[in-house]
Amino acid sequence: MGRTLPSATQVFLQEEAAFARFRRALRRSDQHALDDLFSSSRQHLAAAQYASHALPFEVFLLSMLLEEHKEVVRMRQLLEEHLSRQP
Amino acid sequence: MNTILTGWLLDVYPNETNLTLWVIGDDGQRHRLVQDFTARLYAAGPAARLRQLWQWLSGQPVPVHLARTQRRDVFHEQSAPTAAEASAAAGRDGTDAPQLVTVLAVHILQPARLEELFRSMLTAFPDLTYYDADISLALRHAAAFDVFPLARCRLELRGQKVVSLLPLSSPWEIEPEPVPLRILTLEPDTDPGHAEPQALVVSHDRVRYRLPLHDRTQLLVSLAAELRRHDPDLIMTAWGDTWLLPFLLQASRERGLPLPLNRDESQPVLERKEHIYFSYGQIVYRGRQVQLRGRWHLDCHNAVLWNDYALQGVLEMARVTRQSAQDAARLSPGTGISSMQFVTALQHDILIPWHKQQAETPKTAMDLLRSDMGGMVYQPTVGLHRDVAGIDFVSMYPGIMVRFNISPEVPRAGKDPSTSSGQRLEPAPGEPGIIPLTLAPLLNKRLSLKSALLTLNRHDCRRPLYQALASAHKWLLVTCFGYLGYKNARFGRIEAHEAVTAYGREALLRAKEAAEDLDYEILHMYVDGLWVQKAGCKSPPDFEALLADITARTGLPISLDGIYRWVVFLPSRVNSRVPVPNRYFGVFQDGSIKVRGIEARRHDTAPFIAETQMAILEILAHAEDADALREVLPQAQAFARRQLGKLRSGQVPVEKLLVSQKLSRELGEYSTPSPAARAVRQLQVAGKSVRPGQRVRFLFTLGKPGVCAWDVPRPPDPHSIDLPRYRTLFERAVDTVLTPIQQSVNGGVDNECLYLFPPDRSLPVFGSSSSITRPVR
Repeated sequence: MGRTLPSATQVFLQEEAAFARFRRALRRSDQHALDDLFSSSRQHLAAAQYASHALPFEVFLLSMLLEEHKEVVRMRQLLEEHLSRQP
Repeated sequence: MNTILTGWLLDVYPNETNLTLWVIGDDGQRHRLVQDFTARLYAAGPAARLRQLWQWLSGQPVPVHLARTQRRDVFHEQSAPTAAEASAAAGRDGTDAPQLVTVLAVHILQPARLEELFRSMLTAFPDLTYYDADISLALRHAAAFDVFPLARCRLELRGQKVVSLLPLSSPWEIEPEPVPLRILTLEPDTDPGHAEPQALVVSHDRVRYRLPLHDRTQLLVSLAAELRRHDPDLIMTAWGDTWLLPFLLQASRERGLPLPLNRDESQPVLERKEHIYFSYGQIVYRGRQVQLRGRWHLDCHNAVLWNDYALQGVLEMARVTRQSAQDAARLSPGTGISSMQFVTALQHDILIPWHKQQAETPKTAMDLLRSDMGGMVYQPTVGLHRDVAGIDFVSMYPGIMVRFNISPEVPRAGKDPSTSSGQRLEPAPGEPGIIPLTLAPLLNKRLSLKSALLTLNRHDCRRPLYQALASAHKWLLVTCFGYLGYKNARFGRIEAHEAVTAYGREALLRAKEAAEDLDYEILHMYVDGLWVQKAGCKSPPDFEALLADITARTGLPISLDGIYRWVVFLPSRVNSRVPVPNRYFGVFQDGSIKVRGIEARRHDTAPFIAETQMAILEILAHAEDADALREVLPQAQAFARRQLGKLRSGQVPVEKLLVSQKLSRELGEYSTPSPAARAVRQLQVAGKSVRPGQRVRFLFTLGKPGVCAWDVPRPPDPHSIDLPRYRTLFERAVDTVLTPIQQSVNGGVDNECLYLFPPDRSLPVFGSSSSITRPVR
């Protein structure tokens, strides 16, 4: 039951490993932030697989952006709720 | 004068000149009959070589009847394509309809000599293409007369010779008529791998007694008398293949006392060696086999999936795959599905290639990227969710093959289903291919059983039978998809395999779109199932519109697996922000529990830990809904603490701490021996052998080598047990189920979560996927 091509998860892990030197040179706190970015990208592996893009890292970057944007929207909502409660 | 006999077909095997049949007659007698039968194989190649083969065969000692004829070869276009053919095929993106090939049909009049003749043919004419050469006689007979093991038959006899054979039942009946099988059970009083058995426990009907093993002569005399008196149709054993029957046969030879294990005493007992193979990325060990003639021998420890479906499942496997019951019990579902395809091929005059020589159709890199994918596996939304519907496509992949006519020989329209968004998904045009032809009756039977199970009362006595039958079918249907992409499968073809997954992805995405159009939230999707939630939807009728919409959009049946009072999707143990697809647990509205991927489901979890985890879930299942979890949580926590107390104070029986792991390779191949390998080394020192694929049971112990194999002759010292290690494993299993519940009860805020057993604080505890609790500078 072999596959010819690696799965999205395998590609993701390879890409993440390729940034090991970059990660190592970052400050500890930045390393955590980078890990968060990769973790958020991982939420969309199914979609990345289905996209079958020739350059998968583009899809992983877009996934990171997507999760970041969700955070922005969520925080904007919280802020608006907070501001609307101000007298 | 001819006589008529009705009864059940028990066994079919070759004798020197024709076939022997055993029939359980309606008169209660066991009839030994013979039947003339011609086995056929085909050869194809250049006309001149076929003429030479004809002449050669005419001079052989095996009597044959020869004829030139035409037959369908589904891979004819693909066998050994030239470069021009290959590029033309790439342009067409598919296969052509099967073409007729001219073949030399060799009818072998003494079927038992087929193998011998074929071997000589291969040596003399290795360049020819052969078909139907290695199909078992039992399958050929089943295909020719449309019969199967335990088929109800009407036989016309002249003396002991069968003149005609007519099936009176079909393997597709939901409830086969019960067969009056006489069963004798033989089991040693202890696992021979663990200790030397002292007695043999014999039981049949309501009789049960012990025969001491030390007096071999007395044992053989008593057993022979029992076999003759009770004359069983089926000998059920424990470790019969690997220990008991070889032991009895050797004792019988040494003492010169015949033991009528075979009902047909003119035939030898059939012994097959152990073998090891890879399947689905796992190493599998099949012990040696001892098969009987005229009656069956089944060893419950050497039967595939015995724990899943037991004897009824084995009989059903034999019925639908038409292999002998002794083979059906011991062979994988893959062999079962191949057998079914062979019978379809034989009955439809389709050639079965002896060696498939078909290569993958050339395709572009982009096409490969788009097609080389499996099913869609999403990352679930981690955490506890309430009132969640689990909905599943019913036998999705086999359903796709049947509904959309996916088969190696059926030309695909060359259309990717994902490009037909919004349109109806249509089956490939033309006659149904060999795969849909084979699967349709099996799928229909499974669907009928499933719908019967839905309507049957919970305590109905037919329920376990139906469940065993459905479970046997499930494995055949699961494997069927894998075999479509397996290069050695006779009717496999990677493009057909890829087409199935393409339809699967399209169906799942259409289901997602249907759910989202109706305002459901998708919590998780896994190949053929979805977990959806919508405020106010709590009972089955609330989901009917969704199910109907999905069926309309996909053309595939979908059903409600159940509604969970609550379900927890778990994150990865390494990184709590990363969800894991198939790791969850939940409680349905009827109080039943479903778990996947957690410790209780794993084979290498000590029974004490697995039982504790399940007991905690049972306590949690008492909560009527997710809100009531707050009330039962303290009980569950108290239970976990009591269990931990038992573990620490040594009150847990040693057997409950046994860990069972599979040896994944030969001992010499380990660079760092796993605990299982270290345990096997201890067994080797004690003179016992364990082969790759076999399980080894051991305890974790203090100091080196850290394990103690259970099956060494010396019992383990209870004081050497590595309690801290068991405690870690115990706490991990308890936290898997209790932490998400605690988080939910505490309002889903992680940093307020009170761990029952706090994890190592040197590792930061990350927030859930929707909240980041760590300060980011």
